[in-house]
Amino acid sequence: MKKAYSSIMLVLLAMLLILSGCAGQSSSDSSGEGGPKTQINFMHWRGEDKAVLDAIITEFEKENPDITVEMTIYPSDQYMATAQRMLQEGSTGDVFTSFPGAQFESLQSAGVFEDLTDEAFVSNFDENLISVGQKDGKQLALPYQLVFNMPVYNKGMFDELGLEVPKSWTEFQELCDTLLENGITPIAFPGADIGPNQFMNSMMMNNAPDEEIFAKLQSGEEKLTNEWWVKTLEDFQLLEQKGYIQKDALGTNQDAAMQMVASEEAAMLATGSYHMASLIGLNPDLQLDLLAPITVEEDEAQYEGINTATFMLAVNSNSEKKEQAKKFIEFLSQPEMASKYANETGQHLTVNDVKYESDVLKNTAYWIDERKTRFQPRFLITNAQIEDAVLSSIEDVLGGTAPMDAAAAAQKIVDENKE
Amino acid sequence: MKISKSIYLFFIPGFLLYSVFFLYPTVSALFYSFTDWDGFSPAFQFVGLDNYERAFTGDSIFRKTIGNNLKFMLVVVVFQTLVALAFALIVLKNTKTTVFLRALYFFPTILSSVSVAFIWSFIYDPSLGILNQLLELVGLGFLTQNWLGNADLAIYSLAMTQVWFHAGQMLIIFVAGLQAIPQDLYEVAKIEGASKWQTFSKVTWPLLAPSATIVVAYTTIQSFKAFDLVFAMTRGGPNNSTEIIATYIYEVAFRGFQFGYASAISVIFMAIIAIITYVQFKALRSDRISY
Repeated sequence: MKKAYSSIMLVLLAMLLILSGCAGQSSSDSSGEGGPKTQINFMHWRGEDKAVLDAIITEFEKENPDITVEMTIYPSDQYMATAQRMLQEGSTGDVFTSFPGAQFESLQSAGVFEDLTDEAFVSNFDENLISVGQKDGKQLALPYQLVFNMPVYNKGMFDELGLEVPKSWTEFQELCDTLLENGITPIAFPGADIGPNQFMNSMMMNNAPDEEIFAKLQSGEEKLTNEWWVKTLEDFQLLEQKGYIQKDALGTNQDAAMQMVASEEAAMLATGSYHMASLIGLNPDLQLDLLAPITVEEDEAQYEGINTATFMLAVNSNSEKKEQAKKFIEFLSQPEMASKYANETGQHLTVNDVKYESDVLKNTAYWIDERKTRFQPRFLITNAQIEDAVLSSIEDVLGGTAPMDAAAAAQKIVDENKE
Repeated sequence: MKISKSIYLFFIPGFLLYSVFFLYPTVSALFYSFTDWDGFSPAFQFVGLDNYERAFTGDSIFRKTIGNNLKFMLVVVVFQTLVALAFALIVLKNTKTTVFLRALYFFPTILSSVSVAFIWSFIYDPSLGILNQLLELVGLGFLTQNWLGNADLAIYSLAMTQVWFHAGQMLIIFVAGLQAIPQDLYEVAKIEGASKWQTFSKVTWPLLAPSATIVVAYTTIQSFKAFDLVFAMTRGGPNNSTEIIATYIYEVAFRGFQFGYASAISVIFMAIIAIITYVQFKALRSDRISY
């Protein structure tokens, strides 16, 4: 009997040891050469930036020998789910990134953002581009990247064909007709994944110039069956029916759409500036720029394009290493570091005095302060079900449903979910 | 033989694991299903049965996901069972290719679901995908489709991917069942002059019924709980045509930040699976046949 109890105790002890081993190691303070070091964790979703961020972190650690930075990267579609859990514990994500819109709202209501308003490094950022990280007069997060969520076009091809950037819906259709006549698909539309959520922004920006339109939709003051959205859906229908977007667009993913533009089978990619570096990677001979379809007549157009300040840097209010975390953000916001990040990732940034070196970044930097762009409307939908309803109505129309019917079906879902 | 009471201590580790990974989450889900918890804020309120009422009367997408799930399940159960049975009958014959065929049929099972999703997304691509190109090549161009982009077709395309992915697993169950059938019965059937179909319907199938029950029940539950392939290939689109309950729970919880409501859907989901499983076992259970 005694033997049996001993065996049981041994088994339980072994299990305890295994479980405690699984619990992982502490990522906090660790000792190294030259004294104790504080390890902070930087949590984000940009796996493609790992190499450049590793290099920047190495330089940061040289300047701050008492701090080490560990990166935790989740793909963007998992980030929403996973990051929020980790932040709540405070053990991961001393510095973290947030999307604007619904995630920012959710995180701020949970009190995860440390107030950065009085930090000196806030002035390193363009004050016009960081308002999306503000709430109740406090700067809770600092958008680092500036993305233009509007079609990338083959400027070289346009020049060859003598085409100019259209300033009205009529001109846009004429442009598309000319491209079709030359055997070129005007727009490569990745309808299987990000197409609807990216292209809707520029398609609706002048049909509904009121920046409160989605707030009104969520509160019931506006409806998707009203003219602004039905007209947007009609415009999508026209693109599909006239062959301005490729056949079977809803089955095309972004890789396939990029390939169409890289091989010059298509003239425009309906995604955003963040794909320019990849397109150049696929075809270094491409000359690229950005254009948004103007869906109204020239004199009615209020906006020329879409911007999104995103990859918002923040300090976790649950962190015990806030000062070190702030030092890291301060380092990232120095023009020299920001320039390195911008040029090696092919991104425009919200940081002042960034020196863009690549042709693509230099040639499109005029969009930052010379063009009238509006913040991505989709990010102003704070209810995910309503956002899905809006996007589904686009997919519905591209699948053959009449715009008003698609709008009505989507409005039904909005009504079920409105605030 | 007298069993020492100390033997019950051996149940403790298993019970602890079961409690941590099943009982606690289940009870938590039930608890939160009566709240408006956003999954993040420390505060929440009790809302009674509001979440359940919303699921059944105020959420058309949820009702659509049940329909999608049923379509997906029916296609997967029928095809996966038939394909697995056909494969099992093929690999059971002692031919030179048996080992190769077993490996071939089982191969998809060892892949990760994300790899399978990537492979099949490429196969289904309407312009670059090999499925449409193959159809064109063999003169069946009229059958080419927008496999994942057509809202009427996408759920079936996903179901066929699921069949390809998991039929190999079911094959093993059928092979085990077939190997357990005494060879004497086949010899007797042969002496009696039974045709191949008669042999199958009177000998093989009745004795394979227990295996078939397991396959159908397991496939039903597996297809109802499907998440990874759907999430990776279509994320519920186009126009919610492939949104199934599991992906919708994810959307509501992690994109919509409505954990309370997502918990209520999860509880309903669990109840649906429990009912289907019970009904299936009742319907498919038959007295063991022996000759």
